[in-house]
Amino acid sequence: MSNFVDLFWSSTIDGLTIGSIYALVALGYTLVYGVLRLINFAHSEIFMIGTFASVGTISLFGLSGPASGLTLVLVLFCTAAAGMAASGASAVVLERVAYRRLRTRGSSRLAALISAIGASLFLQEVFALRWSNGELHASGRDYVNSERVLEKTELFSIGDGIVRNDKLLVFVAAILMMIVLDRFVNRTRLGRGIRATAQDSESAVLMGVNINRVVVLTFLIGGAMAGLAGALYVVYFDQTRYIIGFVLGIKAFTAAVLGGIGNLRGALLGGLTIGLVENYGASIWGAEWKDVITFSILVLVLLFRPNGILGEALGRSKA
Amino acid sequence: MLLEIDDISVYYGKIAALKGVTVAVDEGEIVALIGANGAGKTTTLKTISGLRSVAKGAVRLAGRDITNVPGHERVALGLCQAPEGRGIFPGLTVLENLHMGSYIRKGDVSADVERVFSLFPRLKERQKQAGGTLSGGEQQMLAIGRALMAQPKVLLLDEPSMGLAPKIIQQIFEIIQEINEQGVTVLLVEQNAAQALALAHRAYVLETGRVVRSATGRELLNDPSVRAAYLGGDISH
Repeated sequence: MSNFVDLFWSSTIDGLTIGSIYALVALGYTLVYGVLRLINFAHSEIFMIGTFASVGTISLFGLSGPASGLTLVLVLFCTAAAGMAASGASAVVLERVAYRRLRTRGSSRLAALISAIGASLFLQEVFALRWSNGELHASGRDYVNSERVLEKTELFSIGDGIVRNDKLLVFVAAILMMIVLDRFVNRTRLGRGIRATAQDSESAVLMGVNINRVVVLTFLIGGAMAGLAGALYVVYFDQTRYIIGFVLGIKAFTAAVLGGIGNLRGALLGGLTIGLVENYGASIWGAEWKDVITFSILVLVLLFRPNGILGEALGRSKA
Repeated sequence: MLLEIDDISVYYGKIAALKGVTVAVDEGEIVALIGANGAGKTTTLKTISGLRSVAKGAVRLAGRDITNVPGHERVALGLCQAPEGRGIFPGLTVLENLHMGSYIRKGDVSADVERVFSLFPRLKERQKQAGGTLSGGEQQMLAIGRALMAQPKVLLLDEPSMGLAPKIIQQIFEIIQEINEQGVTVLLVEQNAAQALALAHRAYVLETGRVVRSATGRELLNDPSVRAAYLGGDISH
């Protein structure tokens, strides 16, 4: 317990940092669920694609060391844009290939779920492929390291916890993006169309809403959020891997369920909560218990409060 | 004819819900479809709005064949529906629900919002409330108001009286008449046949997916067989 007290502030800072990445990824689960009542289990791979796009973009700059000044801003901006574009586009393609036909033919939810898992495994294995000696090998299973973009420096401290610039960047970027998304969904015509479709898709059609377009938009936004999460992940950890999305994706899904799946603000709350709880738990029992803690939360939420903390807002009450 | 439903058949799986229904609505009319549960009234309206696909026959609006036009595109062509069960977006406010009615329109719609509020002053009082918190009668007003926001050529109303108290039904029907007098053509589906026939210029009687009678509202209202079947026997009018 004394560790918990000693490490409280540093656990809080780490928890909020990783939690904001969970929250960004959780938005994709929650948006798609809100509109289609479908858990897009391939969303974790959409995040993974974002990390690879970010690593690739950073390598294009051929940095000799951490950047600074305007170069830094440019590299960060391009990395985020590339991650968002790659993930957003992949999510749209995923919807077209893996879900649309099932949806328009009215197949069961189980079929869509199986399709999601299939797409997830397919994408993982594709990103494990490497080209060498004129042949494809499934050998890309190690971490791919990225050049360090940001010289990690200590900015200030809260209690015993030290706030580093990369952690602050991750947190601030994620929160800003979520404010933008919240405004989009709640204040614009297209956002209203998304909410209306989530609440009553047949009525939405009667009002002239093109459901397919709303679905594509939903996947695009959710994908772009995961792509930004991917870019921030790479800036924070300087690496990725073909299977990087797997555990992180399930944690983000847990965050979405915890906050109330279908609820955008719930995704933020759930993500930050999961990040904090797993870091507090790690300070008490050790870092190897992080995953156990998160998935215990998932089980407990599903047992005792399956609608999550805030309930489902996109679909039912006011978002 | 403004709206023509020409001999349409619609299937749910292998079961025929409509077996060659023909209905026509002229500009400025109120036309009612009456019939028992399962006669095909709602299916007819859903087919007109493009929510059900047609196995045979055609739907025409102002002479244009719209049988294969996707549902969401029919709103821009001039069809808007207040569906059975009202179909209010429960989490959107009253005002947001109204704005969904004008989803396909560009430009300022505040004059239309004011027009709806003047028809249904209750909605103005509750404009910031979530749609799901309204009473049944208010939700029906919202559903009709929302459909009007699309400025439809033909307003489709599916069972506007369903589940409402007689006084509210009276009020809703008066407003439907008022809307019609302002120049909106109305196609109305009702189980409440007495009220519908009193209001409608013309009406069709549906039975198990077929039109079995069609005449003016008044004629059907005084027809002994219609009275026996749909008006609970001999009621005075």
